[in-house]
Amino acid sequence: MPVGHISPLRQLRRSDAEAFGGKSANLGELLSAGIPVPPGFAVAASAFRDFIAETGLGGAIASAMARASSGTVEDGAAASKAIGEAMRFAPLPEGVRAGLESHYGDLAGDGDTEPAVAVRSSAIGEDGEDATFAGQQESFLWVRGFEHLCDAVRDCWASLYTPRAIGYRAARGAGGEDPAMGVTVQTMVDAEVSGVLFTCNPVSGDPSMVAIEASWGLGIAVVGGETTPDDFLVSKVTGEVVRRTVNEKEIEYVPDPAGRGTVRVAVPAERRGEPCLREEHLAALVDLARRVERHYGAHQDVEWALARGKSLPEALVVLQARPVTAVPERAPKLSGSALSLVLGTFGAPPAANEPD
Amino acid sequence: MAASTGTTSAFPSPYAIETPPGCEGWEEMYPYHALFHEARRDVDENRFWFWNSMHFPLPMPAFDMACVDSPYQALGVWQNRVFAVPPAMGIDYRVVNGYVYITGNPVTDPDKIAERAGYFQQRAGYYYQHWDELYGKFKAKMQELIAEITDLHVPELPEYEADEVAFEDDRNTSFYEVLAAYDRTLRCLDLMWQHHFEFLLLGYGAYMTFSELCKSQLPDIPDQHIAQMIAGIDVLLFKPSAELRKLAKLAIDTGVDGAFTEARRPAEIDAELAGSEAGRAWLEALEGIKDPWFNMATGDGLYHFYRSWYDDPSIAYASVIGHVRALRDGEEVERPTEELARERDRLAEEYGALLDEDTRKAFQELLMLSRTVFPYVEEHKFFCDYWFLTRWWNKVREFGALLAKHGFLEDAEDVFQLGRHEVAQALDELVLTWATGGQALGPAHWPPIVARRKELLRRLGEWTPPPAIGATPEAITDPAVIMLWGVTTQRVQEWASAEEGGGRLTGAAASPGVVEGVARVVVDVEEIARVRDGDILVCPITSPAWAPIFSNVKAVVTDIGGVMSHAAIVCREYGLPAVVGTGRATSEIQTGQLIRVDGTSGVVTVLDA
Repeated sequence: MPVGHISPLRQLRRSDAEAFGGKSANLGELLSAGIPVPPGFAVAASAFRDFIAETGLGGAIASAMARASSGTVEDGAAASKAIGEAMRFAPLPEGVRAGLESHYGDLAGDGDTEPAVAVRSSAIGEDGEDATFAGQQESFLWVRGFEHLCDAVRDCWASLYTPRAIGYRAARGAGGEDPAMGVTVQTMVDAEVSGVLFTCNPVSGDPSMVAIEASWGLGIAVVGGETTPDDFLVSKVTGEVVRRTVNEKEIEYVPDPAGRGTVRVAVPAERRGEPCLREEHLAALVDLARRVERHYGAHQDVEWALARGKSLPEALVVLQARPVTAVPERAPKLSGSALSLVLGTFGAPPAANEPD
Repeated sequence: MAASTGTTSAFPSPYAIETPPGCEGWEEMYPYHALFHEARRDVDENRFWFWNSMHFPLPMPAFDMACVDSPYQALGVWQNRVFAVPPAMGIDYRVVNGYVYITGNPVTDPDKIAERAGYFQQRAGYYYQHWDELYGKFKAKMQELIAEITDLHVPELPEYEADEVAFEDDRNTSFYEVLAAYDRTLRCLDLMWQHHFEFLLLGYGAYMTFSELCKSQLPDIPDQHIAQMIAGIDVLLFKPSAELRKLAKLAIDTGVDGAFTEARRPAEIDAELAGSEAGRAWLEALEGIKDPWFNMATGDGLYHFYRSWYDDPSIAYASVIGHVRALRDGEEVERPTEELARERDRLAEEYGALLDEDTRKAFQELLMLSRTVFPYVEEHKFFCDYWFLTRWWNKVREFGALLAKHGFLEDAEDVFQLGRHEVAQALDELVLTWATGGQALGPAHWPPIVARRKELLRRLGEWTPPPAIGATPEAITDPAVIMLWGVTTQRVQEWASAEEGGGRLTGAAASPGVVEGVARVVVDVEEIARVRDGDILVCPITSPAWAPIFSNVKAVVTDIGGVMSHAAIVCREYGLPAVVGTGRATSEIQTGQLIRVDGTSGVVTVLDA
């Protein structure tokens, strides 16, 4: 059981979701199951609460939110702007700052005192666990240096109050409790290929399939729908690729050559139409899907990446796993004898088709 | 089949189909009842007819209509009068420009359906419970029938009847024997189709129920896997190939494989083999497998020109040539039966494990039932369509030879240009004039008809039949139509939209559901404010930034994006149908147009294009 505001990911388990947010808790859980996850640490929601308390921002947030309750796009945007600016200029509590510095230092490797990290929000409560809170929270990639890390943590917190987060919360009527948020910090993976997999087909609900989408570069292009990814449907039972659609992948996100952040660039013409996964990648992803699904006993939506310059199995890492929440209703359960089902095929009314 | 009675069908009226140039008078080749006639226009024009291209891909020669009438008689009697399948009687057919169109006769009265269900439940239940025993009888009956048609004697018409006719009081004269033999030939065909359809519906029904269960619970399961779980390992239809593989090995082992070179004709190979002892031994070994495996046919259809391997062994020889080459190249040509059996059980085990307990029980029971009916489903074609029919067509050729011998036809093969009742007429006249010694009109009457019909068939073969004609059905409910032809409501809708032409876009089915509404094309985020409640959002990409407006729109269509982009996920979360990655929605669709979004199949249709 971790104590304090900050904990290494490997010490977390699913049950830590309330304190550290779903994403961090889940990454810890994945690590405990032997799933490859880039190393990192988690900032608890308590850090955010201390921040609000020490800076006295609570009142400003409440009055801005009251204005946004009209539900219009314009009022939501104005509230977001006001809250975001106030947060960005407020100092971090000393305990939080010291913890970040020490854990960030632990991630530093040989000769790299300012390792690149990914800083992501890790939502608390209903938004994180029960709903697929699609893209409403922030990711800051390729963050380097302690001060930039602190900024990114504050920006994550501010993402609780983006216009679309405000709109989503208003639409869902999930008001009441004050929102809080954890933050996940992980060593950056230089992804040559990234994507998403579902341990079932999320469109049809078929549990025998693994659905995979993949594109060049960092995962935001796929997750954000900014490119039409390659699309694979692979049978868990036989490993056969049931559907394979290779698309023109026009853009990708790569590390900014300046050293910090990412840039969106055009994919060179010769790579656009090239499939970004080969058979052995698909096999590794199906194997990963089976392990993740078996561990959770439920269907998962997994973000993954293939690290540049590495080969399988080391190249494949998991960046996030969430329960799949919006699988279509499966066909109704079946009962009755085989014979009555066959008679039903021939249009015999159910009441009459149970033979003597 | 339920059909809309309006006049705005997506399909052409059967009464509005033009005769291709030079094909005037094609109707003379077919029974009067096979045509779209004015007297039943009110009914026929408002039914949905589809081209039975599965069984009849080519224009029908007149005689081959026997293989349309007889099977539909037999299908109808079992489905409608014996088993009383509750919602469906039999299949009606019509011929248009030489091609066969069919439709089901539905039962719509609920009381009648309930009454039929009583019969169906008892009778079908009896068949499923006694399947192995009844199917054993089927095989015996078929073998008996095949022997009968093979041995059926088509008498010559002699100058003088044999002494037995004169001196033994129980002998019939040849005029009677010819007519009786022809009549029996036709009845044998009816018997074959009767046997064929005794099991067909129930066999396919069990198979389809299992398949439907798999597809409802595992929507993406490849058909191949369903088939693999059911398929027998020791399948009769694989035997001919297995036997030929053995012969290829024998050829190599005895050093006569040099005869089997690419593109060589069977006669050339035979000639070379006959020249050596080892070659003659090989030919003898070949003789040993011909019964029954050379009763395979050269084509999969119900036409007279599909011959058996006895009559045309080119497929068998080509197969040996291929096996010889593969064996020489060291390729594994043995069917790995143990591995197949293991894989079949593994698939059943793993798929079963993905289902909940009740469903798994139904899955396992249906799998067992499907495996029980499988031998019929797989084997009946060999007994009926190949073995029996190739012999039956040959028997008809014997009557053709008789008519040709007496000048009624130029060639025995021409018999297939006459309808079976016309052949009866020709035989009537033949035996009459043979008996009386009078002058036959047949030699002047029939050859011009044959010549004209050959030309008609040639020209009709160049015409492309529409997949469907008549009224557009609301839904396909006939179990036989769905099971035997795979014609489903969805298939018909695809045909219908293809008929309509343009205004159709396909993409990834990102979130299921079908809605219609007014399109709002938004290419820039600035324009988002113009989206009104109930619009269908048509945009270049599924930007998650637009999620807040998803609660206002009815559906989402995008140019690019995949089913796992966050916006697609949000659509599923909100229950909004979505089709993403259409490639050209924002350029093809204009704001204000009425469109239909089918997020289940990934199709967007412009309704007022």
